[in-house]
Amino acid sequence: MQVTLKVFRYNPDVDKKWHYETYNLDIEETERILDLLELVKGHYDGSLSFRRSCAHGVCGSDAMRINGRNMLACKTLVRDVGDKIAVEPLLGLKVIKDLIVDMEPFFDNYKKVLPYFINDSPLPADGKERLQSPGERARFDDTTKCILCAACTTSCPSFWGSDDYLGPAALVAAHRFIFDSRDEAASERLRIISETSGVARCHTVYNCTMACPRDIQITRAIGELKMATLTGKVD
Amino acid sequence: MALKRNVSLASALRYKGQGPMLTYILHRIGGVGMAVFVTVHILASFVGGKAGIFANSIYENWLFQIFIFFCVLFHAINGLRITISDLWPKLIQHQREAIWVEWAVFLPIYGIAVYVIIRAALGG
Repeated sequence: MQVTLKVFRYNPDVDKKWHYETYNLDIEETERILDLLELVKGHYDGSLSFRRSCAHGVCGSDAMRINGRNMLACKTLVRDVGDKIAVEPLLGLKVIKDLIVDMEPFFDNYKKVLPYFINDSPLPADGKERLQSPGERARFDDTTKCILCAACTTSCPSFWGSDDYLGPAALVAAHRFIFDSRDEAASERLRIISETSGVARCHTVYNCTMACPRDIQITRAIGELKMATLTGKVD
Repeated sequence: MALKRNVSLASALRYKGQGPMLTYILHRIGGVGMAVFVTVHILASFVGGKAGIFANSIYENWLFQIFIFFCVLFHAINGLRITISDLWPKLIQHQREAIWVEWAVFLPIYGIAVYVIIRAALGG
C-alpha cells in the first residue's frame, strides 16, 4: 500500500526552526511505524534521528506522537493508523534532534520518588527472602509493568504546563513501592508526592492511561495515591 | 541548541486525547467563564454609572446567559464526576461510561435551559 509519512525534522546544526518532511512510501499494511522510520533512514535520508533499541515494546525507547497521540513506534501497525501518518516528538520535553527529546527532566522527576526497594530491617532468620503473599504481590502488580517510555508523562497537560510536576510515570513508580508490603519507605514517598508538585497536580484527564503502551491503569494508580496521601493508609 | 520544551496552546489542543481530554478543556473554559462572569458582575456593582450599565448589559444578554449556563452546568457535572473518581479510584476503570453518563445528564438539562432562555429572549 502507498502511505504518506510526514516527519517532524529539526537539526540544531542547520535549522533555525523545525519543519516537516514528507515521504511517499510503498509498504505493507502490517509493517510498524518503526519500520517506516528505518526505511526512510536507510534509503531516503540517513540523517533522520530517532531512538530505538529492542524494537519489541520492552525498552520504551521509541515513544513518539503518531497522528497526534503518544504511542510506541515499534508497537503501532500502519493498518491501525491509516495511510496518512504524521510522526512528531513527545510534547513537553526539549527536542534535541528530529524525534529525539531530552529525557533528563523526566528521569529527574522519576528519581525524586525514590524508585527503589528500601528495607533496612534485618533479613529473616533463614537469611533468604522477605516473604509476601500472592494477594500482597497482586496489590501493586499493575504498576510493575512500567517501561519508562514517557508516553504517559508527555501526554499530561499538567506536565506540559510545568515539568516541576512529577508526572504519571514517577507516580506509577511511587505506587509500585508504596503498596509493596516489604518496603519500609512508604511514608517518605507519601510525603514527597504530597508536595505541590505531586499528586495534587493530577486533574484526572486520563490521557496517561490511554497513552500507556503497557495498559497500566495509571489514573487509577494516581487515584489510589491521592487517597493514600489523604488517609495515610496504604493497604 | 535544543528546541524549548514549551507546549503551545495549538500543540496542546491538537493532542488527540479524545473524550476525557475534551471534558478537561471544557472544564477549564467553564472555570474561566465563571470567573469572567463574577468579575463583570462585581465591577458592574462597584463602578456604577454608564460603565456599570454597560457591564450589566453584557451579562444580562441572552447569548451570554447561554454561555454562562453552559459554564456553570458543565463545570458542576464534570467536577462531580472527577470528585467521585478521586474518592473511589476503583471506579476509574469505568471512566468511559462515566463520561457518557455525564453527557447524558448534561445535554437534556442544558437543552431545556437554552430553550427557555431563547424563548424568553424572543418575548415568549
